[in-house]
Amino acid sequence: MTNTWYLYLFFSAALLGAGLYALLAKRNLVRLFIAIEVIGKGVSLLLVATGFAKGNLLAAQAMVVTYIVIEVSLVATALAIIINITRHTKSLDVRKLARLKG
Amino acid sequence: MIVQTALLIGLVLFSVLAVFLKDLIRAAISLAVASLLLGIIFFRLGASYAGVFEISVVAGLITVLFILTIALTNKAEEVRESRLANVIFPLFFVVFIAIDALVMKGLLQKIPALPSGPESGTFGEVLWKGRTLDLVGQIAVILAGVFSVLALFRKRDKHD
Amino acid sequence: MIILFVALPLVVAGILPLVGRISRRFLPDLLANAALLFMFVYAVAAGRPLIANGPVLQQLNWLGESVNLRLALDGFSLLMLMAIALVGLCVGLFSIDYMEHYGAKANYYALFLVMIAGMNGLVLATDLFNIYIFLEVAAVASYSLVAFGLGQDELEAAFKYLMLSVVGSAAIVVSIAVIFGMTGSVSFGAVAKGLQELNAGPVVGIAAALFIMGFGLKAALIPFHAWLPDAHPSAPAPISAVLSGLLIKVSGVYAMTRIFLNVFGLTPALSTVLMYLGTVSLVVAAFLAIGQRDIKRMLAYSSISQVGYIVLGIGLGTPLGIAGGLFHLFNHALAKGLLFLTTGSVQQATGTRNLDEMGGLAKRMPFTATANLIGSLSIAGVPPLNGFWSKLIIIIALVQAGHPVFAVVAVLASVLTLWYYLIMQRKAFFGILNEKWAAVKEAPFWMTASTVLLALLCVAVGVFFSAMIKTWIQPAAGVLGDGVQTVIRSWGL
Repeated sequence: MTNTWYLYLFFSAALLGAGLYALLAKRNLVRLFIAIEVIGKGVSLLLVATGFAKGNLLAAQAMVVTYIVIEVSLVATALAIIINITRHTKSLDVRKLARLKG
Repeated sequence: MIVQTALLIGLVLFSVLAVFLKDLIRAAISLAVASLLLGIIFFRLGASYAGVFEISVVAGLITVLFILTIALTNKAEEVRESRLANVIFPLFFVVFIAIDALVMKGLLQKIPALPSGPESGTFGEVLWKGRTLDLVGQIAVILAGVFSVLALFRKRDKHD
Repeated sequence: MIILFVALPLVVAGILPLVGRISRRFLPDLLANAALLFMFVYAVAAGRPLIANGPVLQQLNWLGESVNLRLALDGFSLLMLMAIALVGLCVGLFSIDYMEHYGAKANYYALFLVMIAGMNGLVLATDLFNIYIFLEVAAVASYSLVAFGLGQDELEAAFKYLMLSVVGSAAIVVSIAVIFGMTGSVSFGAVAKGLQELNAGPVVGIAAALFIMGFGLKAALIPFHAWLPDAHPSAPAPISAVLSGLLIKVSGVYAMTRIFLNVFGLTPALSTVLMYLGTVSLVVAAFLAIGQRDIKRMLAYSSISQVGYIVLGIGLGTPLGIAGGLFHLFNHALAKGLLFLTTGSVQQATGTRNLDEMGGLAKRMPFTATANLIGSLSIAGVPPLNGFWSKLIIIIALVQAGHPVFAVVAVLASVLTLWYYLIMQRKAFFGILNEKWAAVKEAPFWMTASTVLLALLCVAVGVFFSAMIKTWIQPAAGVLGDGVQTVIRSWGL
């Protein structure tokens, strides 16, 4: 693999790491979701960079486009769940969601 | 190369800001800027379709959805984030980046790859004819999203 | 026309909201269940002749142009399709009565059918990214189905499920990107061939580890199981049945098995990892199930435990082990679906899921109690029910392959399983009838009918187990046993 691929892998890993840290550490429900979006960016960056490194850009783009469509549906569903949660707990704090023992 | 690296650093910077900014609306906008930068990175790599999609859908549509949610949950009480997590993050991130860079340096040239042949066709052909099942999947996931929103926002009738 | 398995549920789901406006109850029920019934009949009747001569690849012509809609139906896919259609049908029938008080039944059935379409698509996919797409289709539908009741517990469970699931999906796509980078393609045949040429052990190991993380999370293997004990109990009973009975197996076990056995090839290292993962899930979850008071939570931990059993059998890699694992997958889908449905009946009749509050329900709900008993004994592995045979085969396979310790652990875990299921039986159905439930009646018609049907199937598959194995399991195990050759030779690039 060309050296530039490793550069993109580096940044993609940075995005994934930041997103995962935020997912574990943050409490606001909407902020948790922004963290998921950041993870999504890391993943799509990796996909396009891989396509670029292989010269297979078209296939990679087709995959990224589909990935983004999936992301939109996911965001819509998740935000609908979050809005419903606030109707119950009147709060966006994930610590209020502690009724189930896990 | 310099421009590209600068854009990548900007991408990571704005993404981190998006998660750590206190005001949610500023966070959403920061996320939109990060998406914009990612779209530009895609363009410069030659992936114009992915770039267009990233900018119009992620920087556009998803940001709108976020701002909509923030507006609809405005009446919820403030959430105090853990100060400890905020303080630890810079340290964690620097260590993470350092390990990341070392791992990448170590992996240089280590991952084997088959040489790939030239790619044929246009993007349209590749998507519509080459990966048609993806489109069926896209339709399915859009249906799932639409029905989810319909189900989660339905009116509860009194006799249900 | 294999595409029907994906297209039919999607089309019916698409028109359901419109139909739902015309008729609130009858037409949506009829349409949805008719679609499920058709898929089941099609899988059973037309499926086996289709694959009699080897796997079927479909390349379609759409509006005159040949489009690349590549679906592959082989023994393993067919077994899954049949299981999905069968359990899906019974759950659909159960929902006719159960979902009455939730409202928006047409919407429910629409989401349900989209989830089924996603699972079918996953099972028929020939390409790594397609597996991911259909996995997400089923997942997005399942998030809102878990939250369908809009109560606080359900929303909380759905949110946590979603959060963890997204991490798993990210791991899967990163792994796909790495494999794409190495081999230049994501289709099974090309990847298998490419990996063989490359001989890139450590990197494939990393990709495999990421897949284990991602699919392991979908299958709720320990340590990736945290979402399941909350999500499955809070969901409406029919959805719990589909989640435990089908979704964790299709998006978790099927995807992992297909990729590890047919695309990567099962190396000894991979086999060992899978066997240990399976055993840990099997034992730890069994212990965790014992202390539960909520009946659905106990069943949820049992699911984690049994999936561990399945992964143990398949991870062993010998033909007998794979056959045992696949048979147990099928049996558990039937039995766990049955158990969640009967607990749904109980929950609707008594309004509680707490075992300590129940008691003696067998006198008031004889059909439900008997069906539940059959399901419990099946999973616990009591002869002559189906679960006994699949567990026996796995244990024999372990001994034959020279892993006596694993076999002993598996037997002990089975004893534990029997123990907690007997606790459940005693507390809920037998014993003194709690006066609170003196006026409780048997469950409504469709709920009872679907659970009785599943119970009868458990008995039938148990009695006719050798016929079942010969017609359905052997072809599936054969496909997997061929390993990488299956996708390289028959499926082509």
